Amino acid sequence: MGTAADKLTSLVADPERFAFSAEELRETQVAALDERFRERKDRIKLLGLRARDAGLEEIARIEDVVPVLFPHTAYKSYPESYLMDERWDRLTKWVGTISAHPIEGVPLDGIEGIDDWIARLAERGHFISCSSGTTGKSAMLIASQKDMDWSKVDTVNVFAWGSGVVPARDRLIVGCAPVATVPKNATIAKAQYDAFANPEWPRWNYPVPPITVGSLTAMVVMRKKIAEGTARPDEIAAFEETSAERARLVADAVPATAQFIIENRHRKLQLSGLWSGLWQVAKAVRDAGYGRDDFDPDNSIYVGGGLKRAQLPADYQEYVFETFNIPADRHFQNYSMQELNSGMPKCREGGRYHVPPWIVPILLDKSGDEALGHAEGEREGRAAFFDLSLDGRWGGVITGDKVSLDYSPCACGNHAPSIRDDIARYADLESDDKIGCAGTVDAYVRGVA
Amino acid sequence: MSEIVMPEVAEDLVSAPFFLRGEVLHGTDVIQTSRDLGVTFATPRIPFDRAVPPRTEVPPLLNVPLAEIIDFLVETGQRLLASENPHMQECIERMCRTHILPRAVVENTARHAAAYLDKRVLMAEVEQNFPDPRALDEWVPKEDFTGRRSFVRAFAPRLIHVLPGNSPGVAVKSVAQGAMVKAINLFKMSSADPFTMVAILRTMADLDPGHPIVRSMSAVYWRGGDEATERVLYRPQYFDKIVAWGGGDAIANVIKYIGPGFQLVSFDPKTSISMVGREALVDDATIDAVADLCSADVMTLNQEACVASRFQFVEGDEAAVDRFCARLHHHIARRAAESGDVRPLDRDMREAVESMTLMDDEYGVWGRTDGRGLVIRSDGPVDFHPINKTANVVRLDSLDDAVKWINVATQTVGFYPFGRMATYRDRLAAGGAQRVVHLGEAGPSTIGNPHDAMYPLHRFVHWMAHEDGRG
Repeated sequence: MGTAADKLTSLVADPERFAFSAEELRETQVAALDERFRERKDRIKLLGLRARDAGLEEIARIEDVVPVLFPHTAYKSYPESYLMDERWDRLTKWVGTISAHPIEGVPLDGIEGIDDWIARLAERGHFISCSSGTTGKSAMLIASQKDMDWSKVDTVNVFAWGSGVVPARDRLIVGCAPVATVPKNATIAKAQYDAFANPEWPRWNYPVPPITVGSLTAMVVMRKKIAEGTARPDEIAAFEETSAERARLVADAVPATAQFIIENRHRKLQLSGLWSGLWQVAKAVRDAGYGRDDFDPDNSIYVGGGLKRAQLPADYQEYVFETFNIPADRHFQNYSMQELNSGMPKCREGGRYHVPPWIVPILLDKSGDEALGHAEGEREGRAAFFDLSLDGRWGGVITGDKVSLDYSPCACGNHAPSIRDDIARYADLESDDKIGCAGTVDAYVRGVA
Repeated sequence: MSEIVMPEVAEDLVSAPFFLRGEVLHGTDVIQTSRDLGVTFATPRIPFDRAVPPRTEVPPLLNVPLAEIIDFLVETGQRLLASENPHMQECIERMCRTHILPRAVVENTARHAAAYLDKRVLMAEVEQNFPDPRALDEWVPKEDFTGRRSFVRAFAPRLIHVLPGNSPGVAVKSVAQGAMVKAINLFKMSSADPFTMVAILRTMADLDPGHPIVRSMSAVYWRGGDEATERVLYRPQYFDKIVAWGGGDAIANVIKYIGPGFQLVSFDPKTSISMVGREALVDDATIDAVADLCSADVMTLNQEACVASRFQFVEGDEAAVDRFCARLHHHIARRAAESGDVRPLDRDMREAVESMTLMDDEYGVWGRTDGRGLVIRSDGPVDFHPINKTANVVRLDSLDDAVKWINVATQTVGFYPFGRMATYRDRLAAGGAQRVVHLGEAGPSTIGNPHDAMYPLHRFVHWMAHEDGRG
């Protein structure tokens, strides 16, 4: 591995890791990007193709990496027919084009569904995580054991830094969201538990059936079959029934979780989830007549992700904090995504997400094609990141997010680049005023989710 | 979270006026964004009362003879083509700033569109749509076998047209069809082309500002899905039918308002394909000639139109099909270069194509993702919607295997050899397809033929019966 990259990733537990300015880090980061590029360009096939197309030989400036950053969509470029027809050999070969390590010797006989295929790869040290696209394709992200180990350390550091909660193994962890059972999520949940939970209190898992990659892709496959006209009416009816059953279980999970919280209100809680689930559980707790005065003033909360398009009242955050008596300086939030391996915690004083030294942020134009050449002050653009900690796949990612990145020092005193707390998805900002006579059968598909 | 669009400096702002039953309304009350290009343009606020005449008013065109309406349309067509027509010139200037296609293509399309305003074309349209076109002009007497008598009228309807953004030709066609059924028309323009319809209507108003056609037409813009506007207009008290082009979000928005008395006539979003039999692959000269025909269909309106072929099902072994692919790529690239249209492929498609390049033992790829023309050969249709000069050749052992890929969204099937078309047309129709044509002729159609599996004018009108008892 590269020495410059190692220098940066070795700061993982440094309490002062967000103190370094981009200026101070630039030279090391450029060297680290160049190291990663040279190491990987012949190992990751897609990177090799991109590098050849761009005529890229080396990374001499941060902007040089732009043509070889992967859009988040690169991880969903596999043909869907591989999933539909269960062509595991093809899917394995496709994963091989984005993996940094050769995928060899994975037994592919007698595989029963995608979850089984993922398990076979995991046995060989290749961990596949899926993004939870329900109507579109799922992204398939490959990671190595090293990446899993990194996540374990990083997630605890990020949460402790951003929330001020000391890992003292004194809390009851309450999950308030259905979580996809993918290796990365499992690793993070276990690391959080080991660091923060009282080992005598098992974690409350949100009581919904496990969301496996298999259950996610079943929806995608069904949608495709409906579009192609190969789904039979009985099949659709059965699928609708399963979806309705699932919706009922999800609805039941809210009161069950609220009840558990109420019964354990004397304990020091750490709640985790997404805003939509947290808000619903908070509302159920309030409706049952409980609130701030019933909860420990040392409670904490871990919120992952944004709103994910959920429709909530404007004061949803205050409502959740207030319900569970979460102190104002504990309002932890983290900016990250499945495509990265590290988090960017929000500071408590400045309310901005901070970029650690091993992540190189690059601001691009809206289309994601060109670097804006942003080097000082605050500017808005499409976020791209290079996560130098990534080992199992390429670290360079173009996100779908519109962010404001600032190189000036933050109110919290740190000099690291920071991102304003108003991240939006370009996809949500796009006009839906599209109309044309040329289109696909997708416009005729309804009722699969 | 909503994006607040700040007006740029004034000279950067394109202005899109409205047309309200003969009057032009200028204004910059609302700043709008064009799809695809993100260009901003300014429009007035919609004066709803002026756009929606009350039902107590009999439609102005009702008693204008069809022949006179057609004469007026023909004259309009000639004026549209005239180089001194300031409205069309201005329209083309403005459109080039908001439209995805290059100038030459836009200009050519506008010219081509005017050709629809031909007396014989319009008459054929009416005659094919109505068994007895007199019903448009008068109450036609009827008598059934029991001796019961009545009069039937193809009565002038009240129509909202939701125009598409990808074909200026639809504007011309819509205005002609709306006039021929004598409707009260409100055109909702698209953000990709908020100009053509107003330019046509202004050209008409120059001919005769008080003509009943002019007094039957209004054209406005609002952002599709804008509830503040659609909740006002989409009501059976104001309109009988909404004629909508497109699908997805645009139609999903409209469907909320559909109910008794307010019906949807939808020109659905369509995908067109080609079917090429093994007869095309007999020798290099034939391969080249058929590939050229096929490329013409792929490149219709630079593949922005619904008749443009996207998937080409080709019957033959891989080596022969690959030779066809190479020639197809050559001809697509040639046509692309001639049109001067170079737009890089969108990101998702680029990713998918690159991934296929890496899986090269399964796919063939001719060309690059640079928007200069691309052919992908696969064993089944690709996941993405081939657009922007991209052909997906699906290799098959037999054209019979292509039938399962036909669906309700399949519009035009370009076929080679022509002699085998009749063998396939029943299966194509059963699958949902609407037209089967000679390969290379996706564009032209027999005048007056059904569109999207219907006779649209027949559906537009309000069929009214006047029962006159037993004689």
